[in-house]
Amino acid sequence: MSAPTARRAELLPRGNKPKNPYWTSSIGFVAPGVLLVAVVLYLPFIWTSWISLTEYNGLGDPEFVGIDNFTAMFADPGFLVSLRNTLFWVIGTILLPVGLGLLIAVLSHGMPNATWFRLPFLIPYAISGVAVGVIWSFVLQTNGALSQALSFLHLPGADLRWLLDGPLNTVMMILAASWQGAGVNALLFGIGLQSIPKEPIEAARVDGASGFTLFRTMTWPMLAPLTTVVVGLAIVGSLKTFDVVWAMTQGGPGRVSETLALTMYKETFVNNDYGLGAAVALFLTVITVLASILYLRRQLADSRAM
Amino acid sequence: MIARKIVLAILGLLWLVPVYLLLANASKLPAEFGNYGLWEPGTLGGLGQNMLDAWSRGKLNSGVLSTAIYAIVAPAIAVVVGAAAGFAIVALRLRNGFFWLVVIFAASIFPLQMILMPLFVGYAQTGLFNTRVGMILVYTVIAVPFSAFVMRNFFTGVAHQVFEAAVVDGATTWRIFWRIYLPMAVPALVAVFILQATFVWNDLLLGLTLTQSAEVRPIVTALSALQSTYGGSTMSTVLAGGLLVSLPTVVLFLATQRIFTRGLSLGQF
Amino acid sequence: MATAVLASAALALTACSGGGDGGGDPAETTLSFFTDKAAWESSFDDMNDASDGVAPQLDFTGYSDPTAYDAFIKQSFRTNERPDLFTWHTGDQLAELVDQGLVAETTDIWDEAIADGYVTEELAENYTYEGAQYCVPMNVVYWVMYYNTQVFEDNGLDVPTTWEEFIDVADTLVANGVTPLHQMNIIFEFVWFQAILAGLDPDAYDGLSDGSVSYTDPPVVEAMEIWHQMQSDGYFIDPGVETDPQVLLQSGDVAMAYFGTFFTGQLNDLDMVSGEDYGSFLLPAVDGDLPQTPVIVETGPLCVGADSDNEEAALAYSQWWMTTDAQSAWSESRGDVSFNPEATVTDEGLAEITTQATSDDSLQMRRYLEATPNEIYTVASEEFGAFVTNNDDPTGHLQAIQDAADAYWADNS
Repeated sequence: MSAPTARRAELLPRGNKPKNPYWTSSIGFVAPGVLLVAVVLYLPFIWTSWISLTEYNGLGDPEFVGIDNFTAMFADPGFLVSLRNTLFWVIGTILLPVGLGLLIAVLSHGMPNATWFRLPFLIPYAISGVAVGVIWSFVLQTNGALSQALSFLHLPGADLRWLLDGPLNTVMMILAASWQGAGVNALLFGIGLQSIPKEPIEAARVDGASGFTLFRTMTWPMLAPLTTVVVGLAIVGSLKTFDVVWAMTQGGPGRVSETLALTMYKETFVNNDYGLGAAVALFLTVITVLASILYLRRQLADSRAM
Repeated sequence: MIARKIVLAILGLLWLVPVYLLLANASKLPAEFGNYGLWEPGTLGGLGQNMLDAWSRGKLNSGVLSTAIYAIVAPAIAVVVGAAAGFAIVALRLRNGFFWLVVIFAASIFPLQMILMPLFVGYAQTGLFNTRVGMILVYTVIAVPFSAFVMRNFFTGVAHQVFEAAVVDGATTWRIFWRIYLPMAVPALVAVFILQATFVWNDLLLGLTLTQSAEVRPIVTALSALQSTYGGSTMSTVLAGGLLVSLPTVVLFLATQRIFTRGLSLGQF
Repeated sequence: MATAVLASAALALTACSGGGDGGGDPAETTLSFFTDKAAWESSFDDMNDASDGVAPQLDFTGYSDPTAYDAFIKQSFRTNERPDLFTWHTGDQLAELVDQGLVAETTDIWDEAIADGYVTEELAENYTYEGAQYCVPMNVVYWVMYYNTQVFEDNGLDVPTTWEEFIDVADTLVANGVTPLHQMNIIFEFVWFQAILAGLDPDAYDGLSDGSVSYTDPPVVEAMEIWHQMQSDGYFIDPGVETDPQVLLQSGDVAMAYFGTFFTGQLNDLDMVSGEDYGSFLLPAVDGDLPQTPVIVETGPLCVGADSDNEEAALAYSQWWMTTDAQSAWSESRGDVSFNPEATVTDEGLAEITTQATSDDSLQMRRYLEATPNEIYTVASEEFGAFVTNNDDPTGHLQAIQDAADAYWADNS
């Protein structure tokens, strides 16, 4: 069932005759989704891919230059910093918002008034990004709310320049993003927990399993479908990190906190180098697709075996 | 249970600290802002005054209706479209289901900033630019990959016998989808809906790019105008405006919380 | 392609001077109008009242994100959503649009306005490309020093008239535990570079913009050293402080802030009164022997999209915009200065600044952002941002900017 050949067969469409009795209706159900994304998202992406092979300033006509943009991209030291920061974001996002989300979901699961306990974590997601950017600037600015609190509590760190020095600023922004994102992950994990059948868990409990062992042997494996969703979204989302950084440091000072999405945006819209920006976008897309296929193929193939 | 409650309560309070700072600083009148410390709260009157100020300066009233339409209609369509795709892949065992899932999900990979310009040109050429239909379309599409991904994985938790039993009863696939799978998936549908509705409500990029008239523009584009470098408002006004605009989504989260606590145990079907 | 556009621009001009035989009465027309100054909507509403019956009305669309705005305007020329009228930037950015033939020529309007005394010839240079003018000035901003009068009084300080006095003021403030100056590491990170270099050697400052002077030349290095010293002496607030500058000036957390005259509006919003709570002065030149004091001037254009739906009416509006009536209304609504010397400026402080800046004792110079080619500016803003943040050795930053300049001038000499 889960042999590599079987997987490959599912990954690539083949011209075999269908045997599924629901063949036509299955096409009908999936078609709206596929068509919508194809027209609104894939077409612009194809345009972007073409632009990456051209020199274009947003006016006039693009001029074909081959792979010049890609060589320029890899030669740029700022690009490498950006790549490193993006990697920080991926690791940080999987550790913090995902880990915290799971913790919150598990702790509050089955608890009376669980919604009230989960609510503080959801509020940040509901607050408009404009206000979130301003608030975190208050918290992290030099001698801001965080520094004041630390010095009030006589803790070290009050002199740190949270947003000015790299890579500290990237770490702090990951924390800010975790504040906003953990609640959503808790919500998704919560749905996963609710859909787990009670009987096997009860049976295991009767057999003497409890606490962490019960979680590790029973709950965690059965949570797999939603874990896949949360981690998959975290990978994709963190590779695309833009809003928080743009609102708080704009990638600076200099370029120390830039991520790939910011590099792409700045090259395109600030420097008017649409070709280079598109090259970064294409690079970003390729690594995101690779990362998600690698991850999803294993996860989804396993979960299908259930 | 007590230990769990204490841990959650402490974490929760920590999470509310920035929210407190938001309230405290949104309630200081701009002219008095410098007299307060960051941690000190302003006054309730100040909060009201700042909100009124943000409301009238930002002309926030003009965007409310259209934003509400976008935030309700687009995610609603998207959850159904996404659920249909998930249903096709899982329950109907669509051939090459994984491939099609990747096709839909991969669409969420493209950085939004990158497709803005081609989208704008395409919208201008097809007459969708600056129309509510155009905005609903783009928000729906943005929400479909997430929705399909969550719903597909949610449905894998549903035993296939449910589907087979319904077929034996003579139900059509259409009926099985609407009468059995969708109702069963209400918590997941609601979760996807509110997350996407919140995204739409707070979206700035698409609103800025694809609209121009006050009736069609989403509310956050108006809010962000308060922040501009040239003649922008003070931070307390921006915060008060941000708070005001966030109220509906906070209320949405509060109102839908009950649905998650119904304790549906779906795997038992 | 280029000839076709030029021809159509010429056609449009003929149509304009022909007295509006191409459409209805311009005063009855509503123009689509776009700007990145979203916060100025109410002032444009006031201008609609002022132009009622005399000139077209504007249908306002404001953008708050300047980057998104620039991209939008450029792309709009690829569609049939061309703007009738829009605000833009002088310098390189306008040159790009002119090169592509996307903005209508305004030479006739300028000639008339200069003849009528609505605008100085000096300003026209910002709008001139290969002998012809494009767009009209929407606004003008003088970069001046704002100060908190109370802080000056408490420390027994007077407004400095020479650079030495200015340094004394700053030293006294530092000695008394007050931070003298505001500074930012994004958006306006370049302003102290321009202020010091223009005041030290205006020719060198000018020469940077056409590549005749290098960023590693002695005057530029000296200007950076002065800036470096000022930062080392504790003249500037930490750039990590993100409180609004107007709030910092109001509370006395900084004694002075070097800003464009648009800052007056932000101070007035805090109920601060010009002349009582705050004042402003022209920053004295670093080199006291200069015949004229350099004043940095920023001007933003109001442009007519070539071949837009209401091109002719938009040109009529541009013409009206420069008149004294229109500019007095604008100045009153914004509480700001005007490029038109005849316009009434109600704010006394600003009126005084205008008089000084336009007098023969002053030398108007373009702001660094507009004077510098975009590709060099991008690198410079990153380098200055890092320099403001870390106050490290300036040499490396200047070299990095010069590398970008070398690359640019090699392609565009």
